[in-house]
Amino acid sequence: MAGGALEGVRVVELGQMVSAPYCAKLFADYGADVVKVEPLAGDTARTWGPFPGDVPHPEKSGLFFFLNTNKRSVALDGSAERGRALLLDLLSRADVLIENQLPQQMRSLRLDYATLRDTNPNLVVVSITPFGQTGPYAEWNGYDLNAYHLTGASHRYCGRPGEAPLEHGTFAADFYGAMTAATWGLAAVLGRDLVGGGQHVDVSCAEAIAATFVGGQNIGALAQDGKWERRTGVGMPLGAPATILPCKDGHVWMLALEPGQWNGLVSAMGDPEWAQIDMFQDMFSRAQNSDVIYPMIEEWTMQHGKFELMEKCQAAGCPVTAVFTVGEAAASDHLQARDYFVEIEHPLLGKLRDLGAPFKLPASPGGPTRPAPLLGQHTDEVLTERLGLDAASITRLRSDRVIR
Amino acid sequence: MSPTRPLGNLRVANFGWVWAGPVVGQTLGFLGAEVYKIESRARVDLTRTLPPFAGGVRDPNRSLSNHACWAGNGSVTLNLTKPEARELALALIAKCDVVIENFGPGFMPRIGMGYEDLRKVRDDIIMFSMPAAGLTGPLKDVRTYGLSLTSLTGLDSLTGYTGGGPIPVENAFSDPLNGIFGAFAILTALAHRNRTGKGQHVDYSQQEAVMQLVGPAFMDYAMNGRVAGPRSNRHPLDRAAPHGVFPCAGDDRWISIAVLTESEWLGLVEAMGRPAWAAEPRFATPETRIANLDAIHEQVSAWTRGSDDHELAARLQRHGVAAAPVLNVADLLSDPHYRARGTFIEVTHPLGFRETIYGGYVKTSGFAPAVRPGPAMGQDNEHVFMGLLGLDDVRYRALVESEVIY
Repeated sequence: MAGGALEGVRVVELGQMVSAPYCAKLFADYGADVVKVEPLAGDTARTWGPFPGDVPHPEKSGLFFFLNTNKRSVALDGSAERGRALLLDLLSRADVLIENQLPQQMRSLRLDYATLRDTNPNLVVVSITPFGQTGPYAEWNGYDLNAYHLTGASHRYCGRPGEAPLEHGTFAADFYGAMTAATWGLAAVLGRDLVGGGQHVDVSCAEAIAATFVGGQNIGALAQDGKWERRTGVGMPLGAPATILPCKDGHVWMLALEPGQWNGLVSAMGDPEWAQIDMFQDMFSRAQNSDVIYPMIEEWTMQHGKFELMEKCQAAGCPVTAVFTVGEAAASDHLQARDYFVEIEHPLLGKLRDLGAPFKLPASPGGPTRPAPLLGQHTDEVLTERLGLDAASITRLRSDRVIR
Repeated sequence: MSPTRPLGNLRVANFGWVWAGPVVGQTLGFLGAEVYKIESRARVDLTRTLPPFAGGVRDPNRSLSNHACWAGNGSVTLNLTKPEARELALALIAKCDVVIENFGPGFMPRIGMGYEDLRKVRDDIIMFSMPAAGLTGPLKDVRTYGLSLTSLTGLDSLTGYTGGGPIPVENAFSDPLNGIFGAFAILTALAHRNRTGKGQHVDYSQQEAVMQLVGPAFMDYAMNGRVAGPRSNRHPLDRAAPHGVFPCAGDDRWISIAVLTESEWLGLVEAMGRPAWAAEPRFATPETRIANLDAIHEQVSAWTRGSDDHELAARLQRHGVAAAPVLNVADLLSDPHYRARGTFIEVTHPLGFRETIYGGYVKTSGFAPAVRPGPAMGQDNEHVFMGLLGLDDVRYRALVESEVIY
């Protein structure tokens, strides 16, 4: 994007599915020139839905659309010698490679870091994998699910005791790894003068979560006292109320811990008599009596809608929030007032609504403006502009099935 | 490996508190920036009061979770209720590239440190504000905890067992995520400054950043009007079977197994010893397997139940199947993978005790991430106020005495 914060940064993406594509999308949405190099069959995400009307079509995947805005697509066969040469040529003129193949796959393509450094010592190679480039699990096959559950996050923090630990219903580890990789990768790009060139940035989605989410809160107690805990199914077992409760039309995140918050909740409930009892005046003793107070609060929430509850409690100084469904979040007047959503025209999908920029840079706005590319849509353009190939060479490469 | 780090030229004043804001500073610190958290004994950060404490001694400088979450920030103490403290803060900001804050919108301007105030002392300052729902809009003053912020994004509505209501995540998943990703936002603004010489005020809504994780479900809503609900550990787009967490032998032990490709399915069948059920026609293709997911999960559970999670994962991996043990918190220190990668490390705190924190959780070939133990309150006071700002000894002592530097 012209005028974007990352204008002038040239990125090549060798990404499949979620993590590397989302990381590269962040670069693209803030102004970098991102060339997505796809195999001739395309990124696997093209075969995943959602599709309009649930009819699969390689150019109509909603997931692919979301993850690949503002990029150009070059389709080439990197396993063919001439395809690999084109790829290396692209990389020799790039600032960043963002990829999420398993390390042994990169080696078998002869695209290991040592080779890439020889090709372009100034290249920052950002690798995002479930487990990372080193360590005993480095070559394990793995997906988002396996990475997330290797962190302690699910076992410690989500699910009912005795039942299966849960991940969020999305690619939580892939997104976490992608955002982590964008940060560390961009720092490596901006710091090339200071550290003397490019480098390999090895992101393990599992390690990022195990360290910064689960480790931050739990590792000190474990190391010093051997103490550790597991999920309870309740938002915060030590204080109450602090959990998700059902209401008339869905759920609310019920939170009233500090005295002012509790008093706000009590007044929002209409000052019921039970709430005046002494032992309910402190978050810890409320938690010890959670089997009593949660049903009492729930009796009240069940009579009201989630947004009514949120508004009433918030006005009374109590941080209750509605559990927004995706549809409700999509209709949020707050998000609309902030222009969080964008509409983008796609050649096959038509006008499509999308999430906008994840943060606002007033002086150099970001966010999706161009749709995800069709497979190989920019092959000719990029090979001509970046590599200086002439029309005859491109035709030959195409008829030899090196490019598409 | 270079002795300098990518952000070795960056100085940061971090007004962030609790968790998300301090992690922004920590992230920049790993990458080489000089980061000073501005805090005060007049209002001790809540997370400094959380047990357990080093050696069991209750003290705001000894909270182990606080250090693990914050390590990498420096610390100066300023009692911002006093005008002289605000002047000193502005003097420090004049020598900084970045200011971080995660208060509600309006707080910084109220104490005379809004973006326009900061520009007066440092024209190209990058101010990074990360309120829950952004600096503008009808919900800008919404009260949330990191724990519940995800409810505003749709993410919580997707978390739970299939067919049931949402199950809460029992800690603030979004805090460290926003801490790390907030640093990306600052770096984009830094790239802009490098090119144009101009700073800016970054409006980082934690709600909007976290809602990016809802993108896949949002697209189904945008395309088909379908509103997703909790879905256990099923593949977010129903493209895999089996795809879940299955019980193993022992106390609360589980294994994750994800089968997306035909060769992974064949590997699983082989690893299971080619059971008769796997040959049934209803499991013959990916589509029919996905349609019969519950039946597959029942069979796989029956098979995993008696096995050791680690051994079974290794066996499945030998057959090319994506499988891994579900770790509990106790496993984190003993797991061979995290040990090999040096994920958790023991350090000496400035006050002399040993403690375990996480180190550079990203491995970089060009530099070693800066690892500094959790800050002691005010540990950098002399360096900042006397060294950087040039106060003389007498003036410094007087400000400490009058609880301005406090």
